[in-house]
Amino acid sequence: MQTFRMIPFRYFDAFTNMALDEAIMEAVRCGESLPTIRFYGWQPSAVSIGIFQGIRNEVNLAAASEAGVDVVRRQTGGGAVYHDSEGEVTYSLICPIEFFPRNVLKSYEVICDDIVSALGSLGLDAHFVPINDIQVGEQKISGNAQTRRNSILLQHGTILYSVDVEKMFKLLSVSEEKISDKLVKSVRKRVTCVSSLTTASIENLTDALELGFSRDRNIVKGDYTLWELERARVLAKEKYSTEAWNFKL
Amino acid sequence: MVTTSITRKIPGGKLVRLDITFSDQIESAKITGDFFLHPEDTLDDLTAAVRNATLPLDPDGLLSQLDRVLSNHDAQFIGASSKDLVSILQEALACRPSE
Repeated sequence: MQTFRMIPFRYFDAFTNMALDEAIMEAVRCGESLPTIRFYGWQPSAVSIGIFQGIRNEVNLAAASEAGVDVVRRQTGGGAVYHDSEGEVTYSLICPIEFFPRNVLKSYEVICDDIVSALGSLGLDAHFVPINDIQVGEQKISGNAQTRRNSILLQHGTILYSVDVEKMFKLLSVSEEKISDKLVKSVRKRVTCVSSLTTASIENLTDALELGFSRDRNIVKGDYTLWELERARVLAKEKYSTEAWNFKL
Repeated sequence: MVTTSITRKIPGGKLVRLDITFSDQIESAKITGDFFLHPEDTLDDLTAAVRNATLPLDPDGLLSQLDRVLSNHDAQFIGASSKDLVSILQEALACRPSE
């Protein structure tokens, strides 16, 4: 059975969150840290964009600045995501690539099954939908993204606890004409969240995710190492908060 | 000189956007989108192959070149394909003003 360190939910800013993922990847690669599953939130709220996205194409930067919302480029593909500080739980799973199938699509399915199980324990009939989503019925409740570098796999993703579609549209670049009641209603139909389907608290969701990710693994409860926190501080400052990284496309 | 941008949602896949400037040859090209490509630095070589394509475009030749790039990187391109890139480039080049 594979052994993972599990780090409980904690808030960080967007740049530190992305930097911590990279710092832990380095630590796991060097054998300094166990393969890791961490849970976290975004304080302040933030928008993350995929590594291949153009920031100006995807984010209303003026609205984000006005709202005090950070914007950061991820090291993973996928789309722009609004991370409300009260509205979601985010996880990262970091381990050697040989822990999961080489086929990326298959590995999404395997890892997402832990989230499906967690949501099931809250009474939700969730299922994985390729490429990288989890849905309840026809509605998306979780999005996930993966990268593989230097023999280390990182998959991170969000599980929606509550959704503010209007705020999301203000921050993501959708033309004014498109932010019609009709479109907002359409997105509301395609997206759902734990709080609208159950009476579970966000703590209940985090507990369920911890249990879901503990299945068939030897879990060691732990915390970030001082090296990881210091490395993340440097990466946040010198990479993830810089224009060179965030505006590179 | 023509500068244009083509955005296409790939059926069953992701969104791909091509920003391109061209006249008798392609001057610049940028590929963005919410697709997945492992390893990620494969995109630099895919973009270079598009930028270096000669005009008039040989779609089959470019497709072979893009596939060679993917093969050289042992890449997994998810949510879009080399064929999609060729097709989007053809669409962008169709914006060429008639002479």
